[in-house]
Amino acid sequence: MSVRRRTTLRAVAAATVAVALAAGCSNANSGADKGGGAAGVLTLGKPDGPQTNNSNPFLTTSAGAVLGYRHMIYEPLAMTNMIRPTEKADPWLATEWAWEDNFTKVTFTLDGRAKWADGKPLTAADVEFTFNLLKKHPALNGDGIPFDGIAVKGKQVVLTFQESQFVNQNKIIQTFIVPKHIWEKVDNPETWPNRNPVGSGPYKLKTFTPQTTTLTATPTYWNGDTKVKELRYTAYNDNSAATTALATGKMEWSFVFMPNHKQLFIDKDPEHHQLWFPSGLGVHGLWFNTTRKPFDNPALRRAMAMVVDRKAIHVQAQATLYPEITNPTGIPLPAGEPFLAPEYENATTKPDVAGAKKVLAEAGFKLSGGVLKDPGGKPVTLTLTDPAGWNDYITGLAIIKDNIKEIGIEAKVKTQTAEAWGTDVANGNFDATLHWTNSGATPYDMYQNIMDGAIVQPIGKSSQAGNFGRFKNPEATAALKEYAGATTDAARTKALNTLQKIFVEQAPMIPTAAAPVGAEFSTKNWIGWPSEANPYAPPQHTQRTALEIVLNLKPSSK
Amino acid sequence: MKYLLQRLAFYAVTAWAAITINFLIPRLMPGDPIQALLSRYQGQLDTKAIDSLKALFGLDEQQSMWQQYTDYWAHLLDGDLGLSFTFFPTPVSEVIGQSLPWTLALVGTTTLISFVLGTGIGVYSGWKRGSWLDGLLPVTTFISSIPYFWLGLVAIAVFAEKWTLFPNSGGYDNALVPAFDWPFISSALYHAVLPGVTIVLSAVAGWILGMRNMMVTVSSEDYVMVAQAKGLSERRVMFGYAARNAVLPNISGFALSLGFIVGGTLLVEMVFTYPGIGFQLLQAVGAKDYPLMQGVFLIITLSVLAANLLADLVYAALDPRTRKEA
Repeated sequence: MSVRRRTTLRAVAAATVAVALAAGCSNANSGADKGGGAAGVLTLGKPDGPQTNNSNPFLTTSAGAVLGYRHMIYEPLAMTNMIRPTEKADPWLATEWAWEDNFTKVTFTLDGRAKWADGKPLTAADVEFTFNLLKKHPALNGDGIPFDGIAVKGKQVVLTFQESQFVNQNKIIQTFIVPKHIWEKVDNPETWPNRNPVGSGPYKLKTFTPQTTTLTATPTYWNGDTKVKELRYTAYNDNSAATTALATGKMEWSFVFMPNHKQLFIDKDPEHHQLWFPSGLGVHGLWFNTTRKPFDNPALRRAMAMVVDRKAIHVQAQATLYPEITNPTGIPLPAGEPFLAPEYENATTKPDVAGAKKVLAEAGFKLSGGVLKDPGGKPVTLTLTDPAGWNDYITGLAIIKDNIKEIGIEAKVKTQTAEAWGTDVANGNFDATLHWTNSGATPYDMYQNIMDGAIVQPIGKSSQAGNFGRFKNPEATAALKEYAGATTDAARTKALNTLQKIFVEQAPMIPTAAAPVGAEFSTKNWIGWPSEANPYAPPQHTQRTALEIVLNLKPSSK
Repeated sequence: MKYLLQRLAFYAVTAWAAITINFLIPRLMPGDPIQALLSRYQGQLDTKAIDSLKALFGLDEQQSMWQQYTDYWAHLLDGDLGLSFTFFPTPVSEVIGQSLPWTLALVGTTTLISFVLGTGIGVYSGWKRGSWLDGLLPVTTFISSIPYFWLGLVAIAVFAEKWTLFPNSGGYDNALVPAFDWPFISSALYHAVLPGVTIVLSAVAGWILGMRNMMVTVSSEDYVMVAQAKGLSERRVMFGYAARNAVLPNISGFALSLGFIVGGTLLVEMVFTYPGIGFQLLQAVGAKDYPLMQGVFLIITLSVLAANLLADLVYAALDPRTRKEA
């Protein structure tokens, strides 16, 4: 590079910097450089890449869902708390909801004060219309709720179902309600981008760009007063850009997985930067392909579950962000405390090599010279697979590999592309892999996802609905069915206790970490975030409860 | 005329083949969009959502390959590229329309700058052989042989991380709304400096080299000698006699490079996460978004073909010899 070129470059750079600094105001972008609590702005976002203008609340692929701003525009009938699933939900658009006839009928009583952002009242007709919309369009019915009867009785809406909806109750009561007078004119709601969303929530869409969506507070909100006047949702292109924005305080609320969050985020402003990663009732764990020998032997799987070091996985693989699994039932604590069966209340997941060796010896496995041989005399080996680049999982596999070496099992860690891995797992073409589970209001969702014989597919046929490990246990399948259809709490408890016992003794999957619903946030401009001391909601901004958090935030006194 | 018809027929066949391959490739790739979506959400998406997603994407209908192929053509001729999976239900044409201007502006401008700059330097260094300009050749050639993404990463490391003179990614400050006003335009220009300069640096050498070699060849021609003997000014001979003929191959090269404006930017946009069409393609591949992939490939293919056609026509117009030989 010649000297002259370099000076020109420098001049150009300096000029552009000057230009950028001197950037004045105009109508579209006036006030864009103001931010922070003083102006009532809260900046949040996620590394999702550029978005397209779509605010359809029922589509997982819409910008509204990906960025999470749909929760500020549309409101649910009731607000459930994922991290404290046994607590009663908070009334929202509905003041009351009463389940009857063994969860086959629910009656919603609406809050008379609720109104849409355009000033029209929100009535039972809107609720009825919304449920009919989901019933008519399976593509919008993301939770797959089997709607049946939908009727209006005065100010109440009554839903009836063919079978007990106990396990779906939270999903039903937190349905978004949309305005009938707008949606009834839409020909094809499944592909409707809904670019001027009108909801009952406290915010409305101000501007949309592929990078940033801005929402402003509606002064006429029916349910209280909003301190946050503007929400700015930014889709960063990758993790590092989002991490930088968090570190510099440009983004005040997000969830990005950072292996060294202390150094990258907390230490940049120890006074204000915080994170909290509580969990719901979903876990990550090592799924076995239970059709492959010798892993069809429950004793072998159980012995392996006894030696996996959850603490090491929690600290080294999950950077302490994913809560540790401390109970062999896999139920995350404290969220799942009330569900534990009496015999497991005091159980721990401390590695127990001696105990594992005993279990193996009783089942006819032989350990000699550091090599475990199955009853047929063949050495026990397996390949652990996960996508390349999913570093937390890969580190987890390395820890598991070391752990099971202690009982003489030789493991290889193999990485694949995410696509190939997804296909292989669904088709049952694997030995063992770290994978997540569903989560829900009770541990049922997690156990059903792992152990339900009713959804088992043969090897080679895609099993996207769950039970990738092809675990077949009639007792477990019956207990799951029993739980979902039970008519009394006692019967449900009994079924869930049975499921825990089978899960611990047969170990179809080794739970390694709870699946958190966490977030990083900054208290520099806003305070009132949920915490371990005040767990009123999971802190993540793509959950329904984000609305509760935003309404709870106050400017930090400056 | 006969030459022109031959070329047109050739391009029609090529276009058909390209569009057909474009149809086949995504369908022969492993994986499926719903699996990709589930993997991306890592447990945030309940498995009960699978059925509704299948219905949504229209993947629940079993169609024969031939049926799909004829549908594909019918839609294509309507200008309908389908709906993107990643941004369902946004039409692909809209997703492309959102990102194409960024690519055209950045790469179009830098292509033009590299061409003008490179040709200019080439003219001088070819005319004044042995001057200090010759020293520029190995330097630029060296820079252009550096893998582009590495050059980009170095530029980011030095000018965006070590000295934070420029932003390290993105197309404009994300607090702004794209509008025709000063804050937005200045921000977009500011974000374009680093990727722009790296593109120019790595592309300029090719133009210099081509132009210089043609200049060297042309300056030994008799008509240049005659022009100099007539006592015309140095400038006039250089531009009016030598460069005018020497620039022909570069002109057709430029026409060709116009085609790569759309397609050749994948690396640039990946390194700088620039919101253009290359970055969109990367996302589409990651998400198994067939309609979007097809749309992007189609735009790339057609622009390359169109540029080739343009190059043929320009050359035929500028250089009578090609018309004779054809």
